[in-house]
Amino acid sequence: MSFLTSISNWLDSIPVIHQFASPKILASVFPFLLEGAKLTILFAVLGELFGIPLGLLAAVFKLSKLKILRALATVYVDFFRGTPLLVQLYIGLFALPIAFPVIQKIPDFTFYGGVAVLAINSGAYVAEIFRAGIESIHKGQMEAARSLGFSYLKAMWYVIIPQTFRRVLPPLTNEFIALLKDTALLSALAITELAMKARYLSSWKANVSPFMGAALIYLAMTIPLTRLVAYMEKRLAISD
Amino acid sequence: MIELVDVHKYFGHSEVLKGINLKVEQGEVIVVIGPSGSGKSTMLRCINKLEDVTKGHIYIDGQDITDPKNDINALRQKVGMVFQSFNLFPHLTALQNVTIAPIRVQKKDRRDSEQKGRDMLARVGLTGKEDFFPSKLSGGQQQRVAIARALAMEPEVMLFDEVTSALDPELVKEVLDVMKNLALGGMTMVCVTHEMGFGREVGTRAIFMDEGVIMEENTPAELFANPRNKRTQAFLGKVLAQ
Repeated sequence: MSFLTSISNWLDSIPVIHQFASPKILASVFPFLLEGAKLTILFAVLGELFGIPLGLLAAVFKLSKLKILRALATVYVDFFRGTPLLVQLYIGLFALPIAFPVIQKIPDFTFYGGVAVLAINSGAYVAEIFRAGIESIHKGQMEAARSLGFSYLKAMWYVIIPQTFRRVLPPLTNEFIALLKDTALLSALAITELAMKARYLSSWKANVSPFMGAALIYLAMTIPLTRLVAYMEKRLAISD
Repeated sequence: MIELVDVHKYFGHSEVLKGINLKVEQGEVIVVIGPSGSGKSTMLRCINKLEDVTKGHIYIDGQDITDPKNDINALRQKVGMVFQSFNLFPHLTALQNVTIAPIRVQKKDRRDSEQKGRDMLARVGLTGKEDFFPSKLSGGQQQRVAIARALAMEPEVMLFDEVTSALDPELVKEVLDVMKNLALGGMTMVCVTHEMGFGREVGTRAIFMDEGVIMEENTPAELFANPRNKRTQAFLGKVLAQ
């Protein structure tokens, strides 16, 4: 018996550790958890990918001179930031298909619907990030662009928004981290992402160690990202 | 070319322009002087519609820019503007600053625009700085890029809003020299400035503004040397005493 196996066996002989973080069980469920993590990443990346343009659009609407666009953006942002994501998921994936049965015919509806709700939810937070970013750009930039003949939207697109990217990158990454963790709520819809996998494995093994395994995997994903945010913020502070 | 007819501008309840009438003909170099808060900059900003006039009309080539039916983006291309605070686009190089409007607004060919942009930068004495970002340029160099950027749109008239006020004294001359060359080349210009020497040298007409009205108007030499209006006298007395 190797040294590692003997340590592992010794740890498993302690009841609390066996129940909570059994090395043997963790090792056996790890490949299954990683399967779930793949789906977690897929949901988070797709949600953010569609959430960014949506949020950018909402931010531009919110800063528009047109009252109707501002109102539209405000309702959107307030609703999705002011209600729990879980409720939004229930509405999107349970309520809407009942109200509009044609939705149920979409293949893989749970997947696409999940991505859509995550994107729309994330977009509301991204909108506020971009709005703050755009407002932080000196108004002389817009004036210079307009004086050259740029329309308002072209000035936004070519002059203002590119300047906001450096500033919004840290908060956008924070938003991505939040979204990554929020994907765990998809387990309420029986989507087998990381948290759901942990739940299945936990009841299958009659042991809660898989949850510890899931937590470790979430940390492995989020800690590098939080370090990245800290690094970007430091660089931004130097260059400003 | 430019005509302001009874232009009034309010900011809230305070009236900063109280009926401005001004006609600028092609080739003229108008020098606008006056104490701060006199409405000089506001008048300039109204000509480019960066401020909306409250009452009155401003015509550029006979087209009323206060008429919402006229395409302001097209009209603005005829009027170049240079700002006190440069307002270069910090995410673009000097050359990109100069070419972005021709390429994105006028939809001109990229290669032609770049060639022209290099020529433009050469004209303001910045050959070799094409790929520098604004943060790597001195204030005088930045302001010259800003002039080149406005010129790249081939405007019919250039507006200068206290363009040397934010510069260190030793950098003022290089910017004024570029402006002098422009004036000598026949560009129509309206310059809000405190540079009396520059005004005397290249100005065809000088205007003294105070409290939102044009108080006095004359040739620069005459206005600076023999001001008739009491306020002009007082203002010039203070400025020249420095």
